[in-house]
Amino acid sequence: MDVIRDVLDNQIVDRNQRKMGKVDGIVVELVEGQPPRLAYLETGVTTLAHRVHPRCSRWVAAIASKWGAKHTEPFRIAWSKVRNIGIDVEVDLDAEQTPALAYEVWLRERVIKHIPGGS
Amino acid sequence: MASRELHLELLLGKCVFDSTGNRVGRIEEVRAQQQGDDWVIVEYLVGIPAIVERLSAWNLGAGLLHLMGARNLHKGYRIPWEQLDLLDPEHPRLICTIDALKEISQQLERDAH
Amino acid sequence: MNKIREIALGIVTSIGGFLDVGAIATAAEAGSSFEFQLIWTIVLGTICVIALVEMSGRLSAVSKHTLADAVRERLGFNFFIFPLIAEVIVDFLVLGAEIGGVCIALQLVTGISFQWWALPVAFAIWLLLWKGTFGLIENGISFLGLITLAFVVATFKLRPALPAVAGGLLPTIPQQDTAHYLFIAVSILGALISPYLFYFYSAGAVEDKWDRSHLGVNRAVAGLGMGFGSLVSLGVLIVAAQVLHPRGIQVDSYEQVALMLTQPFGYWGFVLFAASLGVACFGAALEVSLDTAYILAQAFGWNWGETLHPKEAARFSFVYTVFVFLASLLMVVGIDPLQLTLFSMALTAVILPLTIIPFLVLMNDRSYVGDHCNGWISNTITIFTIVLTFVLAIVAIPLEVLGG
Repeated sequence: MDVIRDVLDNQIVDRNQRKMGKVDGIVVELVEGQPPRLAYLETGVTTLAHRVHPRCSRWVAAIASKWGAKHTEPFRIAWSKVRNIGIDVEVDLDAEQTPALAYEVWLRERVIKHIPGGS
Repeated sequence: MASRELHLELLLGKCVFDSTGNRVGRIEEVRAQQQGDDWVIVEYLVGIPAIVERLSAWNLGAGLLHLMGARNLHKGYRIPWEQLDLLDPEHPRLICTIDALKEISQQLERDAH
Repeated sequence: MNKIREIALGIVTSIGGFLDVGAIATAAEAGSSFEFQLIWTIVLGTICVIALVEMSGRLSAVSKHTLADAVRERLGFNFFIFPLIAEVIVDFLVLGAEIGGVCIALQLVTGISFQWWALPVAFAIWLLLWKGTFGLIENGISFLGLITLAFVVATFKLRPALPAVAGGLLPTIPQQDTAHYLFIAVSILGALISPYLFYFYSAGAVEDKWDRSHLGVNRAVAGLGMGFGSLVSLGVLIVAAQVLHPRGIQVDSYEQVALMLTQPFGYWGFVLFAASLGVACFGAALEVSLDTAYILAQAFGWNWGETLHPKEAARFSFVYTVFVFLASLLMVVGIDPLQLTLFSMALTAVILPLTIIPFLVLMNDRSYVGDHCNGWISNTITIFTIVLTFVLAIVAIPLEVLGG
């Protein structure tokens, strides 16, 4: 499996095919004398910002900590939860139960529902 | 055993140097295989042609590059996981020398075909 | 039978939806300043658009992913962030110009300044996006857009000399006003080959749940729809050439452009022009607003879809809401709509290469398009378009300064 081509930046979908972000980062575990192990998928705007520039990540985290769901930690999905890697990365989770949709849920509850026609 | 964490997406594009300071190339792709329940990294692909490999545009890319005059296009290097020292992720280091790597790469290519 | 109906619908909506503020302004300028000499630019632009739109549709029908999805997924975020930011900025300016077009149309008819219309128009756009479905927006508004066929009818009424028109098919460069000529040529290409068109079309293919069985529909809609749609654009140019050029009327404001249809249609021509401008721009405004929401949602992997209820795609709906109102402020503060239009067309030309290059990679990637990879014809047209857009990108801003 070519990790950069087939996993990084691909769409993550939950067990109901609901979109829950893209693979913004991949965390590997390094142990002396053993091949590096793919440990987690990471999704979150701070992870993405870090790829552009580390300082970018700090700004984004600062804004995120003050606005909306006030959620700055990227969400990690253990590799064991990955069910299938095709054009999307299917994971054995329920998107609504995860922090991946923190802002989506916050916007829905606090903003969208209060606009006429939004609920 | 102590374990460290590393972000793979930040390794992408980092330049690899060998033990004598020679430039090997930029990390463009990472190959993993399943071992038991885990997926582990087996090799790193380094060098310009690796981008073309990653974009699966080898036929098109090679065609265009040939048009532009690049004749002897080598396929870049395949670095086995144990030959890459990631103590400092900003500066990955090739443990062996570039010549030894060339032999290893060629051997891996031969094994694959 | 169903597919035939889809093709017919697709062609009609492409014709009705072809014109937008950029196409009208640039074609009118071309006709009034250089008579029929720039017809070849519209033809060239249309050929490129047909090829690129077909590829966008094919990509989405086979992979079920949109263009924006695919660019991030295959070329990585570190590449995609550039066309993404560029596209958002250009969309913002273009949306302002489209809203301006609607406001000007209302100003022409009521006499009330366009600045007052900006917020009501923005609200109408937002309401339709909030409450409407993708089908309503794509089909409903585009059907209304058929009013722009008035330009085609006018062309026949004005009976232009066919040899002169045919002469315009050959690229010629005039000796005088060369910079102005080249600037309009670049603007026409920027107006026709709009990135938002491809992102929107591919998102639409996914909204309509296209699959491999729609590849024929896709080819027909792209080829015939865009092809016939370009006739409307040519209509604007020819009418401007027949009516404005002989009188030496330079297009400095939309009021002057509005005179175009009064010769063939009398007083009603004025109303027809306003209606055509208003409807065409309103439809385009809907598309551009959605396009921004689409590409941001698809870049970050959010849930998206116009057919979804806003609460099912909260971030997506939030983006277009904010965007529409912010863009309307450009008109509220009184920026000249025509100047904004021409500027944003030139800027579009600058960012085009970033949008087109990914096509070359994606349309040859079997994991996305399977057996439906580009043949050598499509690849050649793509490479040609990339080279063309690189040239446009380099000369656009200097020409804006010299000949704008």
